[in-house]
Amino acid sequence: MTALAVTLWLLNMSMDTFGHLAFKAAAAHGLDLDALSHWKHMARRPWLWAGVLCYLGEFFVWAAFLSQVPLAAGVMLGSINIVVLMIAGRLMFKERLTPWRVAGIVLITAGVMLVGLGV
Amino acid sequence: MKRFYLIGFLCLMASDTLAQICFKLAGAAAEPLEFGLNWVLRIVASPWSYGALFGYLCSFVSWMTLLRYAPIGPAFAASHLELVSVTILSVWLFHEPLTLFKVAGGLLIVLGVLCLAKDESAGAAGKEHDRDGARSANPA
Repeated sequence: MTALAVTLWLLNMSMDTFGHLAFKAAAAHGLDLDALSHWKHMARRPWLWAGVLCYLGEFFVWAAFLSQVPLAAGVMLGSINIVVLMIAGRLMFKERLTPWRVAGIVLITAGVMLVGLGV
Repeated sequence: MKRFYLIGFLCLMASDTLAQICFKLAGAAAEPLEFGLNWVLRIVASPWSYGALFGYLCSFVSWMTLLRYAPIGPAFAASHLELVSVTILSVWLFHEPLTLFKVAGGLLIVLGVLCLAKDESAGAAGKEHDRDGARSANPA
């Protein structure tokens, strides 16, 4: 992979992870609200909008990334987002890393590394 | 119900695949890649970008419909299996070579996703415990 492709890959990874975390932070307000109030509450706080902004930017970053690598390899390399998000969930929201999840993380990371070596 | 799952999974896979192929074509149409408004405008002007948006929209609708009935574990795995269809189609549409690195790496990723799906199915039964535990630990 070229330095440009790696940069775009890392950028996509960060934006995707941050977007997901922002949506989680927006939704997990811990208040007991009905559906409409839930949305109103989320719309008044920055997290929802930070997530939307990330996803919007990610659209362009992903198109840019795919113009630099073959499609199949690009989609496979993008799978690392699953791993990063799970680790981020552990760090930010104390989500559990069960043995199956650890196995999944190891396998996906190894797969992404293999694909990355071949590009 | 089996037919519902099958059609749902196929819709999900098809729309994700469509989105990725359109992304690739949009990126190619906007070349050369440069960091500036010109490139962004070329992406916005490419019809393929709207194909990608449409694919994502269909994928979202299929996913939400599927989740109403399907168990989360298998659904999660299926939502990442576009990797297989995209790879097959990329050989046909873009003449991308199917290298050993790609096949082996792709297999490992699919196995990893299956592990995560397995965890979700196993966790679904244990979720109640988590919730009860959380409630007793925090009465508020």
